[in-house]
Amino acid sequence: MPRLGLLQRPQPVTPQAGPRGSGTSTFWIFSLGSAMLLLMSWLLPWFVRPTSSGVGYSPMDVVTSSPTGIGTILVYILAVTMLIMVLSPVLEIAYRLRKEATPRRFDTLRGIAAVIGLVSTVAVFVLARIMREEPLFGQIDSHSITDSAVWLTMAGYIIAAVTYGARQRVTHRPSLAFGAVALPFGLLLPLMFHQAPDFILWAAESLAVYMLLALGLNVVVGFAGLLDLGYAAFFAIGAYTCASLASPKHSIHLPLWVLIFLGAAVASMFGAVLGAPTLRLRGDYLAIVTLGFGEIIPDLATNNVGKLTGGPDGISSIDQPALGPIHFGTNKEWYYWSLLVVVIVVIILLRNLERSRMGRAWVALREDEVAAAATGINTTSTKLLAFAIGASISGIAGAFYGSIVTVVTPQDFNFSVSVSILSMIVLGGIGNITGVIVGSFALTFVIFWVLQNLNEWSGTLGQTINVPTLGNLNFSQYTYIVYGVTLILMMLLRPGGLIPSRARQIELKSGGEEESLAAVQGRA
Amino acid sequence: MTGTAAVLTGADAGSGMPVLELREVDVLYGRVQALRGVSLTVGAGEIVALIGSNGAGKTTTLRTISGLVRPSKGSILLRGQPIHTLGAEKIARLGVGHAPEGRRLFGRMTVRENLDMGAYSRKDRAGVRSDFERVYELFPRVKERSGQLAGSLSGGEQQMVAIGRAMMARPTVLLLDEPSLGLAPIVVENLFAVIREINQGGTTVLLIEQNALLALNTARRGYVLEVGEVATSGPSQELLRSPEVQRAYLGM
Ligand SMILES: Nc1ncnc2c1ncn2[C@@H]1O[C@H](COP(=O)(O)OP(=O)(O)OP(=O)(O)O)[C@@H](O)[C@H]1O
Ligand SMILES: [Mg+2]
Repeated sequence: MPRLGLLQRPQPVTPQAGPRGSGTSTFWIFSLGSAMLLLMSWLLPWFVRPTSSGVGYSPMDVVTSSPTGIGTILVYILAVTMLIMVLSPVLEIAYRLRKEATPRRFDTLRGIAAVIGLVSTVAVFVLARIMREEPLFGQIDSHSITDSAVWLTMAGYIIAAVTYGARQRVTHRPSLAFGAVALPFGLLLPLMFHQAPDFILWAAESLAVYMLLALGLNVVVGFAGLLDLGYAAFFAIGAYTCASLASPKHSIHLPLWVLIFLGAAVASMFGAVLGAPTLRLRGDYLAIVTLGFGEIIPDLATNNVGKLTGGPDGISSIDQPALGPIHFGTNKEWYYWSLLVVVIVVIILLRNLERSRMGRAWVALREDEVAAAATGINTTSTKLLAFAIGASISGIAGAFYGSIVTVVTPQDFNFSVSVSILSMIVLGGIGNITGVIVGSFALTFVIFWVLQNLNEWSGTLGQTINVPTLGNLNFSQYTYIVYGVTLILMMLLRPGGLIPSRARQIELKSGGEEESLAAVQGRA
Repeated sequence: MTGTAAVLTGADAGSGMPVLELREVDVLYGRVQALRGVSLTVGAGEIVALIGSNGAGKTTTLRTISGLVRPSKGSILLRGQPIHTLGAEKIARLGVGHAPEGRRLFGRMTVRENLDMGAYSRKDRAGVRSDFERVYELFPRVKERSGQLAGSLSGGEQQMVAIGRAMMARPTVLLLDEPSLGLAPIVVENLFAVIREINQGGTTVLLIEQNALLALNTARRGYVLEVGEVATSGPSQELLRSPEVQRAYLGM
């Protein structure tokens, strides 16, 4: 029998991340996640209500004011342990830069800090919020948002404790680790801001809707590798479909729970129909055609095609859904809760899809269309399915969007929306669900929360430090600068995104299809 | 030479019908006519070689068979059934495995995943598993590298994976487009031994090869393509003796 193993090399060198690599990423997810939760719990209550002050608004206020009761010592202990936890990733980075292993006793110290922090957080919460021990803490304001900050701190400590306790067990499962960090975060987010009604609107209307859109676009661009610059068209189709069927416009009033599926179905149909003519196109040509679609659809809506879309004014007075006794119109946070469920379901479905036969076919298609066809993949239906699935998710987003905002107009779906969704997945990491979640969170937070509130914040700051010109700045006009700078910086510094997908990682390491000179010379 | 006639039609393997048959196939790339009335037959269990100079249309012939390119005229029959109207994925499912020119592996997938893609349209998991074993047995080197990214393999290793990937579909007809391209002579020799072994396992092979001597020594019969047309064909030994072939392709 002939054997083709003449030049045996003893050890095959694999350029993939080894077990140590993935364990490291798990560690980073945990430590950065917990650090972020801790930081946010102490700093963000201040961000949200910069004009309010006084003990009781955030644990930070307790620390920065003079002690009012013996119980505040607990809060000081909390502050010290928190400092250790927050600084531990920084120390880790320092050790790594010097290529040294972090000492064991450092791990032990973090473990102890986590436990002490957890215990004192629980103690503070029980004493101050449940038993209302005023002598211990001074005056307790019943409308304070401290308790939510405390909840968040607790979550931070729990995650931190898991980081150092269960590290060995989740070493090879970064996505599990990410889920463990992201889920409590998603659950606690609105708790922290229960005094800030705008915030819950941001969380539902911007964060959750855009996260869905980014996840959907990621199917087309990331999984199947088809650059779609007109994705907002499907968002528009979903939103208009649902708005028409739940408003006085045509006197049809279907419940949102039906419209979600209807919006998804209609949008996916359009996805397949609009995808069909682009099947033979690749790369730049495909991008240009989808760009055209993205312009045509809002244009059709503006021109009130078939008297269906209401022209430039769009469709207004969209129904507010109800779930039993809960009316979403008056309790906007329920939009957030239902979207949270939808996002989680979509993420789980997409993860399974990515690992399914279809997911493998998309990867093959992205790599080499000819070879994919020769191995028995139906390239036509595989591509169309990517368009359809991607569009269906934007249909769901559209159904919720119209309902939350109560009015849809053509401007809501112009090119800038496509750009912002694309920026989110580029920032997070094209093709990586975790990256897309991180990217959409980061960008929606900056664009739709920080920039929107920066005017007020800088105004306050200007008053405080006597520089009134600070109050005249209008930061929301810098939205596109943020997108532009994000895209440019990402392409220059980290072209695979914050959390690159495996394929991108490889591409960046090996220099893509064409081996770079550096790679050939062994320098990359 | 009664045997020769039977061999020529490719119908000597007992089935009475060729596994693969091209009838007067024309292929156009825009205005460029790449194939002109190409007819060829491949009998069950045969190895057939396709030789010809650069640009003769060899690759085009294989691509047309596997449905990547559509003929503008003529027909292609697989076990008597016309396949030239079907899509590439259907033809692959009907049992035509194609290791394309230039290997075309999925560079950012591992070797194992590449082989797995070869079995994409198969449902029998047990069969796929045993075919993995078979490919690994034929190419121990591939097994060694199974966790490595295909794009980072050496040229020869990539060629082994490309053939292995085509094998994973358990094809009845295996189309090999210049499997020896860029390989060291000793590796080529081994590779062709494996091809013969694959053929002995019951797979019919249609082979493109620049090294005409090697090709004709491996195959039973051969076709010589010249500018998109079949110039000569016949049993390998006859072609090797033919003065034109000797002059044009064997450098004698
Ligand atoms: N995609 C294409 N578009 C236009 N012309 C093509 C295309 N592919 C091949 N051709 C032309 O068709 C002819 C046959 O090409 P083919 O690739 O089949 O040659 P070949 O016999 O495989 O050559 P080689 O030995 O160099 O691989 C050539 O003249 C080539 O230029
Ligand atoms: Mg060729």
